[in-house]
Amino acid sequence: MGRLGPWLIAIIAVLAIFVDIPKHQLSFPFNCPGVCFNLGDIKVNQEIKTHLGLDLQGGTQLILRMQTEKLPPGVTTPQSALQTQAIKVIDRRINGLGVSEPVIQGLGEDKILVQLPGVADLQQANDVVTRQAFLEIKVPDKDHPGQYKSLEPPLTGANLKPTFVTFQNGTKPVVNFEFGSPDDQRWIQLSKDYYQQPVQILLDGKEISAPTINAIFTSGSGIIEGNFTTQSAKQLSLLLNSGALPVPLEVIQSSRVEPTLGQESVRRSLVAGAIGLLLVAFFMIAYYRLPGVIAVIALLYYTALTYAIFRLVPVTLTLAGVAGFILSIGMAVDANVLTFERLKEELRAGKSLRAAVEAGRVRAFPSILYSNLATILTAGILFWFGTGTVKGFALTLAIGVAVSFFTAVIVTQMLLRGAIEITSLRRRRLYGVEERAAEGREGRAPAPVVS
Amino acid sequence: MLHVVERKWLYFLISGLLIVPGVVFLMLGGLKPGIEFKGGTLLDVTFPESRPTVSEVTGVMASLGRGEAVVQAAEGGRIEIRTFEMSPDDVTRATQALREKFGSGTKVDSSVVSPSFSGELIQNAVKSIAFASVLIVLLIAWAFRNFGWAAFRYGIAAIIALLHDAAVVLGLFAILGYFFNVEIDSLFVTAVLTIIGFSVHDTIVVFDRIRENLRLNPGEALNPVINFSIMQTMTRSVITSLTVVFTLLALFLFGGFSMRNFALALLAGIVSGTYSSIFNASQIVSLWQELEDRVRHRATATA
Repeated sequence: MGRLGPWLIAIIAVLAIFVDIPKHQLSFPFNCPGVCFNLGDIKVNQEIKTHLGLDLQGGTQLILRMQTEKLPPGVTTPQSALQTQAIKVIDRRINGLGVSEPVIQGLGEDKILVQLPGVADLQQANDVVTRQAFLEIKVPDKDHPGQYKSLEPPLTGANLKPTFVTFQNGTKPVVNFEFGSPDDQRWIQLSKDYYQQPVQILLDGKEISAPTINAIFTSGSGIIEGNFTTQSAKQLSLLLNSGALPVPLEVIQSSRVEPTLGQESVRRSLVAGAIGLLLVAFFMIAYYRLPGVIAVIALLYYTALTYAIFRLVPVTLTLAGVAGFILSIGMAVDANVLTFERLKEELRAGKSLRAAVEAGRVRAFPSILYSNLATILTAGILFWFGTGTVKGFALTLAIGVAVSFFTAVIVTQMLLRGAIEITSLRRRRLYGVEERAAEGREGRAPAPVVS
Repeated sequence: MLHVVERKWLYFLISGLLIVPGVVFLMLGGLKPGIEFKGGTLLDVTFPESRPTVSEVTGVMASLGRGEAVVQAAEGGRIEIRTFEMSPDDVTRATQALREKFGSGTKVDSSVVSPSFSGELIQNAVKSIAFASVLIVLLIAWAFRNFGWAAFRYGIAAIIALLHDAAVVLGLFAILGYFFNVEIDSLFVTAVLTIIGFSVHDTIVVFDRIRENLRLNPGEALNPVINFSIMQTMTRSVITSLTVVFTLLALFLFGGFSMRNFALALLAGIVSGTYSSIFNASQIVSLWQELEDRVRHRATATA
């Protein structure tokens, strides 16, 4: 540490506060939402902000299970590949909706987690995410009049070019599609083979329309008519463009939080956190005097640094996460309490301030270390096994405990050592013990009083 | 000075009195799993104006063919509706029906869990608790490794204290569930695991002091050293708990509704954890030593 220590700690504090301040209020460099700089060819333009979970900002969450049992026999694609593929398709679909910061990730081996912040329409979310969008063209079956059969091999939407919506007669929305090579040739051939006969257009096994072929096609393009509204036509176009899901999906968990309710929770939690922090600060100063003031400074340092880390990582703050954060304040206080109790003991045992501060540090350390390790272990297990809420709680608790270890062991110590160098702060009463009558009697270890 | 080691049976008795009623209600099936753990739908409805009666809401649900819906008034003028698993379409339809009847400002938070998924969540909860306990025994055994085999004695004492705290919280929620239908969810499991972490945290601080005092005073009998160590760490234990209790109280009183039960579980657990680390954990180590001494004494007497 040496002389650099205090500077380093001060620099960290300034950086943390810089990260904490909302950038629309203090913009530096100007017009930058976070960290922006150019270093030769390296351009950094990273936005820094607090990421709020669905329960706090509102939105929809779905957990989907891949129904591998519904796949036709003979499909041998491994589950992990199906999962990756499905995630890609869902990702494209949701991007097409223009949802900001969606979360789409695998959960276990056969599940997919989808979080759509700000989307309150559960049904739309469900449609976009779970509709397989498997397009197939079937032709009349000669053996069974009135029925349709698949071509050999089936003519599907696997090879479609981007589709788009137009309006027939200026009002009726239709979806325009075009087969890519080589399916375009099959489409042209089909119009020759089944001239003046109806063909069936199916989506996910259901007929959407069965138009009669009135002309020999010259390209791979066609239209899908149906009883579309503008919105449903656009949605179908989006689904077709994003590709079909490789496996049917079912929703096994869904939750939706209305945005305004989330904001109310944020407000309440912030108030609760502030009141808790004030109570603790008041109590610490009343009980420990000068060390209490130091602990409160360390606590503010802790809060600023932890919040900065949350914004930088970034950690998505959920209600449970906020609770973990508030709880870790308790842990941060504990390390200080352990140190100060030791300090008092050493002072009562007759040590000088300087010796007592040093002894307090050394002797409180194992307790702080092992007790924090126990909490980090628990947090680690929660993170490992938990889902959603529990994970968020575990992550904030773990970061909180790690930072509190740093602030209590290093920042508090530095401030204490600094304080005892200032003559006016050397009165023992400031540390909560009686002024001693005579100097001397240094270095006696506390002996147990056996009664 | 308090004789916290000599009076250990009194403290064990107090713990027993705290735990037994809870265990009774646990066995009566008081612990009510929330929809997360049994599957189903929870609609949490907030109304723009005054809250309608439960039967009005039940009527709306019945008109949707959801006669089985359990409708309950909740804090903050809300109403909670519980039914079997609903599809996203069903949820949308129910939301629309509620808005038509009670005004467009009606807000419906929904949560649906399929029974197949809830089983997995329970498994995860059980796994994580078991895994945490094992790791903590190992951590304590390692922290006290220079005690040799006696280290495990400390580890096991810490685990008993931890089970004590878990039992207090589970019992409390069994009682709340039995009388007030309070349900437990994954946040509750999180609370229990956090309590386990805190409980061990507190116990380790006391044990660490015992270790130090044993080293500083070789040849001293175990009980006086334990008593003295508890006295030395008592202030710290109480003050630390108080600060945590302050923050949790703030969370309980001013935090959102969904945080209430979470804060309550943590409050009970922290208070219990402080009690067990002062009045139970070390006393178990002391009792172990006494029993061992007695066995050894008898062995030498008969020899």
